[in-house]
Amino acid sequence: MKRICPAFAIVAFIFAGCGKTLDINTNPNTSSTADPKLLFSYAATTWSSNRAAGDTYIPVAFATQTISSGADYGFGKSNVYDISTNSAANTWTTIYQSAGHNLDLAIRTALSSMPANNNTAAQCRIFLANIVYETTVLYGDIPYSEAWKDDISFPRFDAQKDVFEGILQLLDKAIAQIDMSSPLKIADYDMFYQGDMSKWSRLAHSLKLKTLMTMVDKDPAKAAAIGQLMTAKKTISSSADNFLFPFYNEANKENPKFRLLKRYASGLNEFFYANENVVKYMSQSDPRMPRYFDKPAGAPLFEGVQSEEDPSDNSARYSLYLQRADAPEVLFTYQDELFFEAEVYARGLGVAKDFVKADQLYKQALEEAIKFYAGNGNYSAFINSLPSLTTAADPVYQIHIQQWINYMDRPVDAFTQWRRSGPEGSEVPVLTRPDGSTPGKLIRRYPYSESELNANINSPEVTPDFDDNMWFDL
Amino acid sequence: MKNLLAVSFCVIAFSFHVMSQSRTITGKVTDINGAPLQGASVSAGKLGTSTTAEGEFSLSVPSSVKKITVSLVGYRPREADLQGQEQLTIVMESDAEKLDEVIVTAMGIERKNKSVGYALSTLKSEDILKAREVNLVNALAGKVSGVRVTSQSGTLGGSAKIIIRGASSIDGSNQPLIVIDGLPVDNGAPGFSLNNVVAGQIDFGNRGGDINPDDIENVTILKGASATALYGSRAKNGAVIITTKKGKKGQMTILVNSSVRAERPLKLPELQNEYAQGDRGVYDVKNLNGWGPKIADMKGRMVKDFLGRDVELQAYPDNLKNFYETGLSYINNVSLAGGSEGSDYRVSMSATNQTGTVPNTKFNKYSVGINSGRDFTSYFSARTSVNYIKISSAGKPAQASNDPNVLAIAINNIPRTVNINDVKENYLDPVTGKQVPVAPATNPANNPYWILNNNIASSDIDRLIGNLVLTAKPLKWLTISNNFGTDFYTDYRRRITRKGTFGALDGQFIIDQYVSRVINNDLIFTINKNITSDLELKFLAGNNFNQRELKQNSNTSTTLTLDNLYTAANAASNSPVNTSNKRALIGVFGDLTLGYRNLLFLGGSLRNDWSSTLPKSNRSYMYPSGTLSFIFSDLLHWDVLNYGKFRMAAAGVGSDEAPYQLDFTYTPANTYYVQYGLNGNFPHGQYLAFYGPQILPPLNLQPQKQTSYETGFDLQFFKSRIGFSVTVYKSITKNQIVNIDVPLSTGYFAKKVNAAQVSNRGIEADLNLKPLSDFHGLSWSVDVNFSANEQTVDEISGDLKVYNLQSGYSGLQVRAERGKSFGIYGSAWKRDPAGNFIIDAATGYRQSVNNSRLGSIYPDWTLGVNNTFSYKGFTLSGLVDVRSGGVMFSGTVANLRANGVAKETAVNREGRFIDKGVNDLGNGRFQENVTPVESMQQWWTDVYSNTLFTESSVYDASYVKLREVRLSYALSSSGVPRWLKALEVGLEGRNLLLIKSYVPHIDPESNVFGPVGNGEGVEFYSVPSSRSIGANLRLQF
Repeated sequence: MKRICPAFAIVAFIFAGCGKTLDINTNPNTSSTADPKLLFSYAATTWSSNRAAGDTYIPVAFATQTISSGADYGFGKSNVYDISTNSAANTWTTIYQSAGHNLDLAIRTALSSMPANNNTAAQCRIFLANIVYETTVLYGDIPYSEAWKDDISFPRFDAQKDVFEGILQLLDKAIAQIDMSSPLKIADYDMFYQGDMSKWSRLAHSLKLKTLMTMVDKDPAKAAAIGQLMTAKKTISSSADNFLFPFYNEANKENPKFRLLKRYASGLNEFFYANENVVKYMSQSDPRMPRYFDKPAGAPLFEGVQSEEDPSDNSARYSLYLQRADAPEVLFTYQDELFFEAEVYARGLGVAKDFVKADQLYKQALEEAIKFYAGNGNYSAFINSLPSLTTAADPVYQIHIQQWINYMDRPVDAFTQWRRSGPEGSEVPVLTRPDGSTPGKLIRRYPYSESELNANINSPEVTPDFDDNMWFDL
Repeated sequence: MKNLLAVSFCVIAFSFHVMSQSRTITGKVTDINGAPLQGASVSAGKLGTSTTAEGEFSLSVPSSVKKITVSLVGYRPREADLQGQEQLTIVMESDAEKLDEVIVTAMGIERKNKSVGYALSTLKSEDILKAREVNLVNALAGKVSGVRVTSQSGTLGGSAKIIIRGASSIDGSNQPLIVIDGLPVDNGAPGFSLNNVVAGQIDFGNRGGDINPDDIENVTILKGASATALYGSRAKNGAVIITTKKGKKGQMTILVNSSVRAERPLKLPELQNEYAQGDRGVYDVKNLNGWGPKIADMKGRMVKDFLGRDVELQAYPDNLKNFYETGLSYINNVSLAGGSEGSDYRVSMSATNQTGTVPNTKFNKYSVGINSGRDFTSYFSARTSVNYIKISSAGKPAQASNDPNVLAIAINNIPRTVNINDVKENYLDPVTGKQVPVAPATNPANNPYWILNNNIASSDIDRLIGNLVLTAKPLKWLTISNNFGTDFYTDYRRRITRKGTFGALDGQFIIDQYVSRVINNDLIFTINKNITSDLELKFLAGNNFNQRELKQNSNTSTTLTLDNLYTAANAASNSPVNTSNKRALIGVFGDLTLGYRNLLFLGGSLRNDWSSTLPKSNRSYMYPSGTLSFIFSDLLHWDVLNYGKFRMAAAGVGSDEAPYQLDFTYTPANTYYVQYGLNGNFPHGQYLAFYGPQILPPLNLQPQKQTSYETGFDLQFFKSRIGFSVTVYKSITKNQIVNIDVPLSTGYFAKKVNAAQVSNRGIEADLNLKPLSDFHGLSWSVDVNFSANEQTVDEISGDLKVYNLQSGYSGLQVRAERGKSFGIYGSAWKRDPAGNFIIDAATGYRQSVNNSRLGSIYPDWTLGVNNTFSYKGFTLSGLVDVRSGGVMFSGTVANLRANGVAKETAVNREGRFIDKGVNDLGNGRFQENVTPVESMQQWWTDVYSNTLFTESSVYDASYVKLREVRLSYALSSSGVPRWLKALEVGLEGRNLLLIKSYVPHIDPESNVFGPVGNGEGVEFYSVPSSRSIGANLRLQF
């Protein structure tokens, strides 16, 4: 029997270590805590990159007709309204999972820390509000009030009006909790404003204006709130407040547009053309023209290409400048603010109509827009060559055209701007369905993520078609 | 590990003996039908040997020896009087009570077959080695009822998946446990993405395929939870119990088994040879398709080819045939085995060297195994087995899509007017050193020879499997054994994409290094005791400790500076990933079997597991099993029925979860997703990033539970000339631990919960016939196995009706749906109530409806028929494998058709056709469609490349396949020199013929989801499977 002792020793050894042996279920590669700034960084990077890349930028730009594919389907067929279900799903995933979820976790962490980190929560809320805004203008009714709550398995889809109201409330909450004196905030990881809370506050007010301007045609009562914003003058007030996500001239940190050309075409633009629906509204002498588009050597003019048209040898292309490695993703700019303000005064939204003030703001907006792309310079001659709002037959139309041009490289904003620029059939500019596009009307929304529809019992019973108007879109 | 090796070598050192001899007795051992019997033990006192595959033996004995004894499990022992004879023929009679045969069951426990109350199947060495497979798992295909094997692709060293009695889990693995000599080994396939299968999958194989088939004595398949209850949770999907060969007492035997085989693709796409590349009938060198002009119409006209030469178009019909090479396989094994009283040894060395049908693909596997036992005293013995395996492979092709290196796309779409030899000889521009694309478009596809010559995926595996069994028998009725073992491997993989590869012009390479370790210990106390003369008892109790660990270190290096230098410092960007997981399980088990008069057996077992992966409060779970076996033939005494057994069993089994699923943790991010392969890296600038859980962790996770029942008969008629067994079974797996998809708007992809119930019920039948038994020297046996399994998803979670198992491409999904089996879902043709296609009256196209079920991924039934004929020294055997039912999606076929290169796309190319169907007039009214499709190119392109029409590429997955054939001739002892005990030559072939298939262009046996996921039935640009034909030589010294 002595000889079997080693066997018993093994058993004894096993049972002696039993408890500890089994207490190994802690992942050594993850952490039980994370600084909110790290979650903010993940959310900002994933969402901004999605906005600049093949799941949002390319399909929305093709469908909105701000750039042209030259009738080539190398990067999808969204120009003929065949939006890839993958793109719609990936964008939805980025919004709700990669970005929204981590911003929500960051907010929870910031508020539950001792003492509460209110500025961090405010920064995350303002960023989240911007994301929710872009989500609803793409998809329409979306989960918001019940989204990102661990105890709710099937968030209901809020009506778009309620989503907009929720955005306004979220921004108000963020504004209210900003504490300029507190050192607790995201500073070193704030790639937008380096922790300058006054800029975050101004951005929040501007995002309120943007939201209200999207609502006001459907809900004219919002004009009052717009008027209050005009009076308060707390919105962004210089190009130093531009809300830009940075990319870098380092491998895999470049703007995704640059990465695409680098990976597939040795850095040349073989795929994307100037869309005639932008080019024809721009003067050939517009200083932005050579920044927006590259003209083939020898071509006399910047020629656009229709959305489903083969390019010619003289066709201009979407510029390499806009697709440079360190081109930032432009989320909101001072010229956006100024164009909105010009529109407010031209339309008398909560303020008295004032074409002189509108023209002043309009010209200032144009100057900022041109400087943004073409750099500092004296552009007054070009600006003055454009119709003055004080004399133009339809000053609002002039503003909308310039807003459309301003958003040439921001297709989600261009898509929203076009839809809110007038009732169906009277949008600015007038667009037509590309040849060969899916039967129906002009596109008016992105398709929902199929995985959301399948998994959420509160999904809309009737899924809207791509050409169904959403609440704000008259 | 060091200790294990040291003890192993000691045991081996004890085992070698020098033996003396004086005269040599040779002979042949057969059954009453004249069929040779392998493995029969031939002994004379302390001396002994065993018979070869041809039933022959040779034994040196002192001249004083007068008798030899021959014994073999299942046969009555025989004594043969030498009487001066040196050449003997010994006929063994089948033991009327064949069920006294001892078989290996769970935990390596040997039981009388009679006492086993559940179905199991055993394959012997010769069944495994017949036209031997490199991947052991593939060798099981078609041979065992209830077992279904699916190859992933034709990749050299590729993976294979086993499903026993249907998939029971909607999440997690459905693979059985593989056990070698009591040691559960790793059968994983790390690196197979479950979430993104369409992105450039490379089939690096499943580790179960590493096992050397030549070392296997037998394989027992334990199919149900009743059989595997003692293994616990890891064997809820069945178990493959492998017993390796051991040396036998007697003179050293040297066996050489060599095969040389040539391989060609089993089935290549049938392509059209009438149309050139282009668009709408106009030639365009920039297109990689067949939508250009009719080649015959271009006669006499010169056009630019892809090399810029002026050429007259002509078709090259043999391009595909010429692209694929004849692969060669050399499979060699040498083993030395022997033993003396109280010790035995076996040393085995194997080399498998293959080149594939895809140029520049290589697979080399070497293994050395030592298995040795020693009885130190009458009450203490030891056995050790150590196997070292070295595998290196290079050139494994990328499959699926979203990867510039996917080969099938690069090959299949080469325009019919391009000579493959031109492609081969001109893939590199001699002046610029840059790649020459086959279609010089702005964003061209890669030249396949650029991929093959530069973008190499390689893998190097070092694996050690070893165990040490110590057995003490302090009392006659008590045995104590301890089996300690480890399975350890490293897998170093590198995937290169050279600078200048279209789709990744800056080049990149990925290093993946996996380290896996399994440690297992089983301590078992066994009591065998006859309580009375009628009542026998077998009781065992034991403890199991199992620990598994997998570490991964990976790095993706992009934007390479210098060409052809694959080191991280040469890359502008490096993105490392480090992961590891470790789990442990402790089990205590007991098993009691009572036998009454050797005709009635009752058994019961109980096991309790403690798992590290469950919450502490729920980490302990217990489950029982019970069996009954009744040998009713012993009461009937019918001459016709020489053996009849009724059996039934019921069992429960619990199981745990993957490690680290319980805590709410934050993960450091190293990359983020961007469409078109443009993923970005963190830190972004100076900004690092973390992300929260993507799956909502559970609050109070419980173990998963499976309950199974089975009953059946084993019958032998006419002195076992007819054998028949049938089993019906049902298993219910509930409380499953699943990641239930939640709306993304919750912020999570899924939440982990106990939910879902899947049931499988089915019938298995085996028929063994011996129609001819030594009829003028001719014997013929037929073995038929039949399986039918019906899987039903009883419940998912609450009101949830559908669960996405795995996603394919653009809306194609494999899903679990309540009330149905796992199936393929996607867009289906819209049909009227009469089943007619609804056609758009404006376009002539069929209309479709999304999210439709397109069929089950599982067959209704499978059948394997193996015939063996033997005549004198000749043996001819052939295995036909049949699958009936189920569907599959083929991405390859869709691509061939969308690009106008499939043969059928040439039919009526310039014409129009009216699709048969109806137009929907609304209000339930329909009329026959008369709208023609205006453009055949548009129709083929839209229907086969558009995500709206998944059903267009879904096919009946049934097939009939000639799986393997072997013709051998064994020379009799008199025909070989004295120094050679036996010689057999054979011709063998595998995967020989696709007798019937409903899938055009490809072998329906293909599965892009690989061996780990639950998805099946989806093919996506797979490497064609191979037919292999060759010769085999077996020598015994």
